[in-house]
Amino acid sequence: MAEVTVYTTSTCPWCTRLKDFLRAEGISFHEVDVGKDPAAAKRMVELTGQRSVPVTTIGEQIIIGYDPDGIKELLG
Amino acid sequence: MTGELYDLIIIGAGPAGMTAAVYCLRKGLRTLILSKDIGGQANWTTLVENYMGFLEISGPELMQRFEEQLKKEKATVVIDEAVNLEAQAGVFAVTGKTTGAHRARAVIVASGKRPKKLGVKGEEEFKGKGVSYCSTCDAPLFREAVVAVAGGGNSGVQAVLDLLANEARQIYLISDEELTADQVLAEKIIDHPKVRLYQHSLVSEIHSEQMIAAVSVQSRKTGLVERLPVEGIFVEIGLEPNSDFLQALRKNDLGEVVIDCECRTSLPGVFAAGDVTNIPEKQIIVACGEGAKAAIKAWAYLTQK
Repeated sequence: MAEVTVYTTSTCPWCTRLKDFLRAEGISFHEVDVGKDPAAAKRMVELTGQRSVPVTTIGEQIIIGYDPDGIKELLG
Repeated sequence: MTGELYDLIIIGAGPAGMTAAVYCLRKGLRTLILSKDIGGQANWTTLVENYMGFLEISGPELMQRFEEQLKKEKATVVIDEAVNLEAQAGVFAVTGKTTGAHRARAVIVASGKRPKKLGVKGEEEFKGKGVSYCSTCDAPLFREAVVAVAGGGNSGVQAVLDLLANEARQIYLISDEELTADQVLAEKIIDHPKVRLYQHSLVSEIHSEQMIAAVSVQSRKTGLVERLPVEGIFVEIGLEPNSDFLQALRKNDLGEVVIDCECRTSLPGVFAAGDVTNIPEKQIIVACGEGAKAAIKAWAYLTQK
């Protein structure tokens, strides 16, 4: 399965819901808290063109916002 | 159209909708909840300190507790956005954007509100690329940045405070009139060295290349336009009701569904509760109370029909 990375901030309610969804679906993921890591924030902006969280990357694919259906579709 | 005829469809699963659902299910009504999400606006609230029973709890956590209660009652939930409501041959048809029509003998509308948009050039195009409607979520991404905030109410000032807490370099607060935020909040930012106030002013354009580069701010008094270089703008100019699809119901000038003291709308058999209605107190605890009321009245309507 392609690697799943979720870019979050600790105060973002939608990030919390997204992580809960991934856990409930048994999807393992790597979390990057861009609020605590300015260098990671810069990488996220360069990689995704987004300055907003949550952002999920699945391999090369990018999903913006809280989009459980989009994640399910990409993971088949 | 799906085959099953429900007793009740509840549109929305925020505090009002979920409370209504628990009441209806406990009364044995066959109930469908049709909602684009679970939790609604309460999900955007960082900290709730006035919901009885919890000294403090985050909005999302409170909504997760609500959802657990909904699951305990074995609620049928369809995640989809309602796009139409109409009476058809003595029953109501509620159409979901992707799931089509669902039918019931009564309806409770609890579709809440959404953030208002500025409606200026550049806003849609750069949503998520510097235009944000959630300072709680995105303020940490603007450390050391120059940022604009549109809106002089409590939400606007709270966005400024969120940005200050995350070490933004400079913040322009743009308010179309005098600040209307509570004094206790406004005092925290008015003389802050990092905050510059533009009162009686409007954001007239968002300028951008790949990301946001500047906003234009026009004075409502002089008409003069100033271009402010910024990396982002937080839009906090209030909320508007999710009522566009409710053509069949009477609404007020704000687009809110007009209800009476029994949560009845202008269409018999359709009830409404929470922030989508003309009830002026937009509070989680009030929405819950209204949701319970709407459920009891809908149950009475169905059993006496």
